[in-house]
Amino acid sequence: MSARIPALCPCGSGLRAVRCCTLQRGSLPPPEAIRHLVPIVERAMQAHRQGADETAERLCLDVLELAPDRPGALSILYEIRKAQGKHQAAEALIRRIVAFDPNNLAATNELALILLGKGSLAEAEHHARNAIRVAPENPRAHNLMGMILTEANRPQVGEYHYRRVLELTDQRDPVLLANLAWNLKNQGRMQEARTLYQESVAAAPKIRQTLLGFARLEEADRNFDGAATILDKVSALFPKDQGVQLTRAVLLGRMRRYDEALAMIDGAAGDNGQLGPNELLEKGRLLDQIGRYDDAWAAFAEGKQLARKLSGQEYLDDSAQQQIERLRGFFIAGRLRLLPRARTRTDMPQPIFILGFPRSGTTLVEQTLSAHPNIAAGDELPLIHEISAILPRMLASPLGYPEALAELWMGDQREGLDNLRDYYLQKVRQMGVLRQSATRFTDKMPLNETHLGLIALLFPEAPLIHVLRHPLDIMVSAFSNQFTHGFFCAYDLETAARHYVRVMDLVQHYRAEMTLRYLPIRYEDIVADQKASVHSMLAFIGEPFDKACLTFHNNRRYARTASYAQVTEPLYDRSVYRYRHYRTELEPLLPILRPVIERLGYAVD
Amino acid sequence: MESPAPRALAPGTVALPIDEVLRIANEYERGSRLADAQRLLNHILGGAPHQGDALHLAGVVAFRLGDIDTALDLMVRSLRHGIDTPLYLRNICEVYRALGRLDEALATAQRAIALAPADPLCLHNQAVIHYHRLELQAALDCAGRALRIDPSLPGAHFIRAEALLLRGEWAEGWQEYEWRFRIPGAAPLMPPTAKPQWDGRPLIDGTLLLIADQGFGDVIQFARYIPWVAERCSHVAIAANAEVASLLRQIAPGARQFLRWQDAPDYAAFCPLSGLPRLAGTRIDNVPAPVPYLRADPARVARWADRLERLVPRGFHRIGLIWAGRPTHNNDRNRSALLADFRPLGNVAGIALLALQKGPKTEQAGAWYGRAPMINIGAEIADYDDTMAILDNLDLLVSVDTSVAHLAGAMGHPVWIMLPRAPDWRWLLDRSNTPWYPSARLFRQPNARRWDDVVQAIGEELNASLHQDAIGTRCDRKISAHARHE
Repeated sequence: MSARIPALCPCGSGLRAVRCCTLQRGSLPPPEAIRHLVPIVERAMQAHRQGADETAERLCLDVLELAPDRPGALSILYEIRKAQGKHQAAEALIRRIVAFDPNNLAATNELALILLGKGSLAEAEHHARNAIRVAPENPRAHNLMGMILTEANRPQVGEYHYRRVLELTDQRDPVLLANLAWNLKNQGRMQEARTLYQESVAAAPKIRQTLLGFARLEEADRNFDGAATILDKVSALFPKDQGVQLTRAVLLGRMRRYDEALAMIDGAAGDNGQLGPNELLEKGRLLDQIGRYDDAWAAFAEGKQLARKLSGQEYLDDSAQQQIERLRGFFIAGRLRLLPRARTRTDMPQPIFILGFPRSGTTLVEQTLSAHPNIAAGDELPLIHEISAILPRMLASPLGYPEALAELWMGDQREGLDNLRDYYLQKVRQMGVLRQSATRFTDKMPLNETHLGLIALLFPEAPLIHVLRHPLDIMVSAFSNQFTHGFFCAYDLETAARHYVRVMDLVQHYRAEMTLRYLPIRYEDIVADQKASVHSMLAFIGEPFDKACLTFHNNRRYARTASYAQVTEPLYDRSVYRYRHYRTELEPLLPILRPVIERLGYAVD
Repeated sequence: MESPAPRALAPGTVALPIDEVLRIANEYERGSRLADAQRLLNHILGGAPHQGDALHLAGVVAFRLGDIDTALDLMVRSLRHGIDTPLYLRNICEVYRALGRLDEALATAQRAIALAPADPLCLHNQAVIHYHRLELQAALDCAGRALRIDPSLPGAHFIRAEALLLRGEWAEGWQEYEWRFRIPGAAPLMPPTAKPQWDGRPLIDGTLLLIADQGFGDVIQFARYIPWVAERCSHVAIAANAEVASLLRQIAPGARQFLRWQDAPDYAAFCPLSGLPRLAGTRIDNVPAPVPYLRADPARVARWADRLERLVPRGFHRIGLIWAGRPTHNNDRNRSALLADFRPLGNVAGIALLALQKGPKTEQAGAWYGRAPMINIGAEIADYDDTMAILDNLDLLVSVDTSVAHLAGAMGHPVWIMLPRAPDWRWLLDRSNTPWYPSARLFRQPNARRWDDVVQAIGEELNASLHQDAIGTRCDRKISAHARHE
């Protein structure tokens, strides 16, 4: 008997794997052969409508065993699995529906939404774009594009799609208004965002996400009292809500009421006494603030571990190694001498690249520089990464990046770099980065230094400012914050250290092989002698000194990244050599990091 | 007995007497099959760890493989196990010298002489150590004693030449310098020939063949004599490497140049460029220095001016930097520095460093993290014509003793040359200028192998010069004030 148990698909759909995730298209029966199944699908639909899910499920499994591509049966089974919380199975089923019928708008929207929820933004965007191609006037598709692009840090494009929804529906849906407000907040347009939140709350006063977003806006805009008032309201509505309590804790932390903040976080533990990863990391940061370092570290470690478990993500070691090896192999002096460079455009503002590992001080440097009247802030522009992805297509190459740059030796691709440069600049313009009167803008995408070679081909004269910081301080900060840059290296301390070393070695390689306009700048120097550092950065960029850069914390621009709370305060030195509090915990990293620590001229004490 | 195949010597398979294995290892070492020699020696030492000859030979092999610390360790162990022959002591002496441990080198050299007072090689060896300790009289005495035993010992003549030239006693020094081609292992100047070496007298009918010998720096330095030669010889041909061809064309536009010996024209006499100072009767007070005798091509200068304008921020003083010479130079360990040695220059405000470094040491440019920006322009330099055009766009070159320092000198550009404790003879002693290049300034090592004092002195001078505006800037002075953190 046991030998007869069919091999069910590991995704949990309830179908056999050969009828599910390992399905071969060629094995599908022709439509006329399965006409007799139509009534069964109809019965399943009816059962599902009447809430008889067990019956509906059995009927769907029967149908799909014979005809695995029946869209009706797939859809019902998808609904059932989704309702059961079987996310993997639900995703597999909805993917299959979209694969069999790319014009299925509802399914495409649904898939994009699932991917957005998972944080797979690039793939989500792919499907959302398909949805708009299928139905250019579908508000739901535009709304999805708005959400995805806001999350993907292209809020200007996201705003366009949200506004399309407003036009298409001719209604002012409160949730949409709140989404648009959050988008505007991410663009630093605080007052416009505030007005929209007010309108949204007036129309629908009890929506949790709206109120939380509104509170975060006020907190980010340093209106702590306003934030507290909103949080009072939302706590009354959702007294045990973790997200509410976390937002409150963040607010209390910013107001330096650390003990209350900690109490708030501990109170946020769910029924199982368990905090989520974000709560744990915030708790650790608060403990760090009040000097309880052992407890802080324990909270960071627990938060990271939980984040890893919940996301299922971990460092993509092989992919990282492979990419870096390929870059190192391609960008060598002998080859670079033969490659053309893009010409510099003189008709529009030009980039300054602020490079560095996440948590090394790139936000501080951007805030400092963008306080200058001639320099606009671009924030983390995802464009260099994007160009590395589309480059083979743009150069009509059968090879991948970076090898596809070999096409530049072909007579018809000599201007290929100019096209890529224009792609970058055109996107920058579209993103609303450029500011009247500014002749430069910053791009502070962390780890852009991985693509230093490509950057220098596209913008051979652009200043490259590499923010350095004691590697152990970076590690402490990476361990106490969540980010996904760098092949997900930051889910674990050791992989963060390894990726850091890989990238630093690659930078050294680029610098040895290429002529670059490169300036290393130390976070510690900025803290110790801000004026001198600002002078050297501006001189290096080629801009006159401007004292506004010394009071960058008055720069009203909102920095979207995790560092935003720090850069709205005057410079502080408590983050310099803070690794010393965690010396024992960092011990295992020393064999990995020591060569770089020494090369950079830092010590470990 | 059969000639043993190396494969048959895997441990435990064939029992050969140690002497036999050692003989084979020796052959391998002489044939430069160093890895094979090392494998055999490891095999011997695995069974007989105190075998003195094997220890010593393993030391020689390690030295030749570039692992000097291991070499010394092995050789010192060989001494401890009763191997106290002059040859071994001389080898150890060379290892100490390579490591810059000159006191131990001298003591070892003296011990070798005590064992073999009549061995001229031991005396020559000690003369070399004295030269590197800058004990020139002692070097001359030892070389003299060696020559009394063997009057035609080339090495002893050559170390005399170096000591005499360094002391400024050039007339006698030039004579001794002629022994340089007879040193065992020295690269031959040219294929064997029956033609005479030129004696400096006018040569009207035939062609004089000049050979651009030694390093590129020597070529640049001695090329100044070519016009003097042209006054005496109506037809001149020059054998030169491609790298220096365009430089020589500037100085000797009428001379025929060739790269390969089979392209050599028929000639009446030959002369190496490095032999010309002797023939011209050069003394310190009559060094011909017709600077500039090399110039950059204006079109290239314009092209590099544009490139540098885009790379180097305006208002920064542009300081060129070269930290290492060709690694195969026999004195490279003494004359080359590490880029890391220049760290203090990173704190000089208002300068941008331009690394003009070429060759394998360029990779150090990637590890510069000083506050002064460094631009690795070396990565884009194709040839000496590029280098000259870049030099034209710099305010100053700081360089160890290598060819580009000569190039800057020949162009009359400001160049600060960093010299090891015992410098090459041409830089003479104790002076901070040189009759060869009026625009050069010399910075000498007070302590052997330590560049920190030199770099510190350069940093101080640089600060002072910038302060007094003694170093020009290629850019707008008004902006340069910004760059100084005032």
